[in-house]
Amino acid sequence: MKQIQGKTLLLGVLVLASVQFTDCKSKKADTDTSTNTTTTIDSVTTPAPAPVEISADDALKSGLVDATKDFPGVTTSVNDGEVILTGNITRDKLPTLMQAVQSLHPRKVTNNLTIK
Amino acid sequence: MALETKYADLISAAKTAGVSDLQVREQDNVLYIDGTAPSGTVKDQLWSVYNKIDPDFRAGDLVLNVNVNAAAGTKAKVITESSNLNIRKGPGTDQPIVGKAAHHEMVTILSNANDQWSLIKTDAGTEGYVYTQYLQA
Repeated sequence: MKQIQGKTLLLGVLVLASVQFTDCKSKKADTDTSTNTTTTIDSVTTPAPAPVEISADDALKSGLVDATKDFPGVTTSVNDGEVILTGNITRDKLPTLMQAVQSLHPRKVTNNLTIK
Repeated sequence: MALETKYADLISAAKTAGVSDLQVREQDNVLYIDGTAPSGTVKDQLWSVYNKIDPDFRAGDLVLNVNVNAAAGTKAKVITESSNLNIRKGPGTDQPIVGKAAHHEMVTILSNANDQWSLIKTDAGTEGYVYTQYLQA
Protein backbone atom coordinates (compact mmCIF):
# COMPACT_ATOMS: atom_id res chain seq x y z
CA MET A 1 0.00 0.00 0.00
CA LYS A 2 2.82 2.35 0.95
CA GLN A 3 4.67 1.53 -2.29
CA ILE A 4 1.65 2.35 -4.41
CA GLN A 5 1.19 5.65 -2.56
CA GLY A 6 4.86 6.54 -3.18
CA LYS A 7 4.58 5.76 -6.90
CA THR A 8 1.40 7.80 -7.19
CA LEU A 9 3.09 10.72 -5.50
CA LEU A 10 6.11 10.52 -7.82
CA LEU A 11 3.84 10.34 -10.85
CA GLY A 12 1.89 13.32 -9.55
CA VAL A 13 5.06 15.36 -9.17
CA LEU A 14 6.19 14.45 -12.69
CA VAL A 15 2.84 15.40 -14.22
CA LEU A 16 2.78 18.70 -12.31
CA ALA A 17 6.33 19.52 -13.35
CA SER A 18 5.67 18.83 -17.02
CA VAL A 19 2.56 21.01 -16.95
CA GLN A 20 4.50 23.86 -15.35
CA PHE A 21 7.38 23.60 -17.82
CA THR A 22 4.94 23.73 -20.68
CA ASP A 23 3.37 26.80 -19.12
CA CYS A 24 6.73 28.51 -18.95
CA LYS A 25 7.41 27.80 -22.60
CA SER A 26 4.11 29.14 -23.79
CA LYS A 27 4.46 32.26 -21.62
CA LYS A 28 7.88 33.01 -23.06
CA ALA A 29 6.50 32.74 -26.57
CA ASP A 30 3.75 35.21 -25.66
CA THR A 31 6.23 37.70 -24.21
CA ASP A 32 8.39 37.55 -27.33
CA THR A 33 5.45 38.45 -29.53
CA SER A 34 4.46 41.44 -27.40
CA THR A 35 8.05 42.80 -27.41
CA ASN A 36 8.09 42.69 -31.20
CA THR A 37 4.89 44.67 -31.37
CA THR A 38 6.26 47.35 -29.01
CA THR A 39 9.47 47.74 -31.03
CA THR A 40 7.49 48.37 -34.20
CA ILE A 41 5.46 51.14 -32.51
CA ASP A 42 8.61 52.79 -31.05
CA SER A 43 10.37 53.05 -34.37
CA VAL A 44 7.40 54.92 -35.86
CA THR A 45 7.22 57.55 -33.06
CA THR A 46 9.72 60.44 -33.42
CA PRO A 47 11.40 61.52 -30.15
CA ALA A 48 10.64 65.05 -28.88
CA PRO A 49 13.65 67.48 -28.96
CA ALA A 50 15.48 67.77 -25.63
CA PRO A 51 14.68 70.97 -23.70
CA VAL A 52 17.34 73.71 -23.76
CA GLU A 53 19.82 73.40 -20.90
CA ILE A 54 19.82 76.57 -18.74
CA SER A 55 22.37 76.95 -15.94
CA ALA A 56 21.31 77.89 -12.41
CA ASP A 57 22.09 81.50 -11.37
CA ASP A 58 24.85 80.40 -8.97
CA ALA A 59 26.61 78.41 -11.70
CA LEU A 60 26.28 81.39 -14.07
CA LYS A 61 27.74 83.77 -11.47
CA SER A 62 30.80 81.62 -10.84
CA GLY A 63 31.25 81.04 -14.59
CA LEU A 64 31.05 84.80 -15.21
CA VAL A 65 33.88 85.45 -12.75
CA ASP A 66 36.14 83.32 -14.97
CA ALA A 67 34.73 84.66 -18.24
CA THR A 68 35.16 88.36 -17.38
CA LYS A 69 38.49 88.09 -15.52
CA ASP A 70 40.38 89.73 -18.40
CA PHE A 71 37.76 92.44 -19.06
CA PRO A 72 38.26 94.88 -16.16
CA GLY A 73 35.69 97.43 -17.46
CA VAL A 74 32.87 94.87 -17.62
CA THR A 75 30.31 94.30 -14.84
CA THR A 76 27.77 91.47 -14.89
CA SER A 77 24.55 90.65 -13.11
CA VAL A 78 22.37 87.55 -13.26
CA ASN A 79 18.61 87.37 -12.91
CA ASP A 80 16.72 84.09 -13.42
CA GLY A 81 19.13 82.85 -16.11
CA GLU A 82 19.46 86.22 -17.84
CA VAL A 83 22.99 87.66 -17.92
CA ILE A 84 23.17 91.47 -18.12
CA LEU A 85 26.45 93.04 -19.23
CA THR A 86 27.23 96.65 -18.31
CA GLY A 87 30.35 98.84 -18.39
CA ASN A 88 32.85 99.49 -21.16
CA ILE A 89 34.56 97.36 -23.78
CA THR A 90 36.38 97.86 -27.07
CA ARG A 91 34.67 96.50 -30.20
CA ASP A 92 37.53 94.08 -31.06
CA LYS A 93 37.20 92.35 -27.66
CA LEU A 94 33.40 92.09 -27.66
CA PRO A 95 33.16 88.77 -29.62
CA THR A 96 35.64 87.09 -27.23
CA LEU A 97 33.58 88.15 -24.21
CA MET A 98 30.27 87.13 -25.83
CA GLN A 99 31.67 83.71 -26.78
CA ALA A 100 32.71 83.06 -23.19
CA VAL A 101 29.39 84.29 -21.75
CA GLN A 102 27.12 82.45 -24.20
CA SER A 103 28.91 79.13 -23.59
CA LEU A 104 27.79 79.20 -19.92
CA HIS A 105 24.22 78.13 -20.90
CA PRO A 106 22.39 81.34 -19.93
CA ARG A 107 18.67 81.79 -20.69
CA LYS A 108 19.55 85.01 -22.53
CA VAL A 109 22.32 87.62 -22.69
CA THR A 110 21.50 91.34 -22.59
CA ASN A 111 24.35 93.49 -23.84
CA ASN A 112 24.16 96.98 -22.33
CA LEU A 113 27.89 97.60 -22.76
CA THR A 114 29.20 100.94 -23.95
CA ILE A 115 31.50 100.27 -26.88
CA LYS A 116 34.52 102.55 -26.93
CA MET B 1 10.07 80.18 -35.99
CA ALA B 2 10.68 83.90 -36.73
CA LEU B 3 14.14 83.76 -35.16
CA GLU B 4 15.16 80.79 -37.29
CA THR B 5 14.39 82.97 -40.31
CA LYS B 6 16.35 85.94 -38.89
CA TYR B 7 19.40 83.72 -38.26
CA ALA B 8 18.93 81.50 -41.35
CA ASP B 9 22.34 82.52 -42.77
CA LEU B 10 24.04 81.51 -39.51
CA ILE B 11 22.25 78.14 -39.36
CA SER B 12 23.14 77.32 -42.96
CA ALA B 13 26.76 78.46 -42.39
CA ALA B 14 26.98 76.06 -39.41
CA LYS B 15 25.62 73.19 -41.52
CA THR B 16 27.95 73.94 -44.45
CA ALA B 17 31.01 74.22 -42.19
CA GLY B 18 30.37 70.77 -40.72
CA VAL B 19 29.33 71.64 -37.16
CA SER B 20 28.48 68.31 -35.48
CA ASP B 21 25.68 67.62 -32.96
CA LEU B 22 24.02 70.79 -34.28
CA GLN B 23 20.85 71.70 -32.36
CA VAL B 24 18.66 74.68 -33.21
CA ARG B 25 15.86 75.34 -30.73
CA GLU B 26 13.60 78.33 -30.11
CA GLN B 27 12.24 78.82 -26.60
CA ASP B 28 10.54 81.91 -25.09
CA ASN B 29 11.69 84.25 -27.89
CA VAL B 30 15.33 83.17 -27.69
CA LEU B 31 17.03 80.99 -30.29
CA TYR B 32 19.58 78.47 -28.98
CA ILE B 33 22.18 77.11 -31.38
CA ASP B 34 24.45 74.41 -29.92
CA GLY B 35 27.08 72.23 -31.54
CA THR B 36 30.73 71.30 -31.91
CA ALA B 37 32.81 73.16 -34.49
CA PRO B 38 35.56 71.26 -36.36
CA SER B 39 38.05 74.13 -35.80
CA GLY B 40 38.57 77.51 -34.16
CA THR B 41 38.41 79.13 -37.61
CA VAL B 42 34.86 77.81 -38.13
CA LYS B 43 33.82 79.09 -34.69
CA ASP B 44 35.20 82.58 -35.48
CA GLN B 45 33.51 82.52 -38.88
CA LEU B 46 30.11 81.71 -37.29
CA TRP B 47 30.55 84.51 -34.76
CA SER B 48 31.27 86.98 -37.55
CA VAL B 49 28.03 85.90 -39.32
CA TYR B 50 26.20 86.39 -35.99
CA ASN B 51 27.77 89.87 -35.62
CA LYS B 52 26.67 90.76 -39.15
CA ILE B 53 23.00 89.76 -38.55
CA ASP B 54 22.87 91.31 -35.06
CA PRO B 55 25.54 94.10 -34.90
CA ASP B 56 27.36 94.16 -31.53
CA PHE B 57 25.06 91.35 -30.27
CA ARG B 58 22.46 93.82 -28.97
CA ALA B 59 19.19 91.96 -29.65
CA GLY B 60 19.54 89.37 -26.87
CA ASP B 61 17.55 86.83 -28.89
CA LEU B 62 20.32 84.28 -29.61
CA VAL B 63 22.55 82.09 -27.47
CA LEU B 64 25.27 80.68 -29.73
CA ASN B 65 27.18 77.88 -28.01
CA VAL B 66 29.44 76.30 -30.62
CA ASN B 67 32.67 75.05 -29.12
CA VAL B 68 35.79 73.42 -30.44
CA ASN B 69 36.59 70.22 -28.58
CA ALA B 70 40.27 69.54 -29.02
CA ALA B 71 40.90 65.81 -28.88
CA ALA B 72 42.87 64.43 -25.93
CA GLY B 73 46.54 64.01 -26.73
CA THR B 74 46.64 66.82 -29.30
CA LYS B 75 48.77 69.97 -29.00
CA ALA B 76 47.28 73.43 -28.58
CA LYS B 77 48.76 76.92 -28.68
CA VAL B 78 48.36 79.40 -25.80
CA ILE B 79 46.60 82.45 -27.32
CA THR B 80 46.51 84.95 -24.44
CA GLU B 81 46.72 88.66 -25.36
CA SER B 82 50.37 88.81 -24.26
CA SER B 83 50.56 87.52 -20.68
CA ASN B 84 51.23 84.02 -19.35
CA LEU B 85 48.33 81.62 -18.92
CA ASN B 86 47.62 80.43 -15.37
CA ILE B 87 47.54 76.67 -14.84
CA ARG B 88 45.27 75.78 -11.92
CA LYS B 89 44.76 72.82 -9.63
CA GLY B 90 41.06 72.53 -10.55
CA PRO B 91 38.60 73.95 -13.14
CA GLY B 92 37.87 77.47 -11.78
CA THR B 93 39.64 80.78 -11.09
CA ASP B 94 39.04 80.14 -7.37
CA GLN B 95 41.48 77.20 -7.64
CA PRO B 96 45.17 77.68 -6.65
CA ILE B 97 47.69 78.36 -9.43
CA VAL B 98 50.10 75.44 -9.90
CA GLY B 99 52.09 76.93 -12.80
CA LYS B 100 52.08 79.08 -15.91
CA ALA B 101 52.23 78.51 -19.65
CA ALA B 102 53.95 81.19 -21.73
CA HIS B 103 52.22 83.27 -24.42
CA HIS B 104 52.27 81.20 -27.67
CA GLU B 105 53.66 78.10 -25.91
CA MET B 106 52.46 74.71 -27.20
CA VAL B 107 50.82 72.50 -24.56
CA THR B 108 49.28 69.00 -24.65
CA ILE B 109 45.53 68.61 -24.02
CA LEU B 110 44.81 65.69 -21.68
CA SER B 111 41.02 66.07 -21.41
CA ASN B 112 38.18 68.60 -21.50
CA ALA B 113 36.76 69.08 -17.99
CA ASN B 114 33.74 71.03 -19.27
CA ASP B 115 32.86 73.70 -21.88
CA GLN B 116 35.19 76.20 -20.16
CA TRP B 117 38.16 74.29 -18.73
CA SER B 118 40.70 71.84 -20.15
CA LEU B 119 43.22 69.64 -18.36
CA ILE B 120 46.64 70.19 -19.97
CA LYS B 121 50.31 69.33 -19.53
CA THR B 122 53.24 71.55 -20.49
CA ASP B 123 56.44 70.23 -22.05
CA ALA B 124 58.13 71.08 -18.74
CA GLY B 125 55.77 68.64 -17.01
CA THR B 126 53.31 70.98 -15.23
CA GLU B 127 49.82 69.50 -15.24
CA GLY B 128 46.60 71.35 -14.44
CA TYR B 129 43.53 73.19 -15.71
CA VAL B 130 43.45 76.20 -18.03
CA TYR B 131 40.62 78.29 -19.48
CA THR B 132 39.89 76.66 -22.87
CA GLN B 133 39.23 80.00 -24.56
CA TYR B 134 42.97 80.74 -24.40
CA LEU B 135 43.88 77.57 -26.30
CA GLN B 136 43.88 77.21 -30.05
CA ALA B 137 43.81 73.66 -31.39
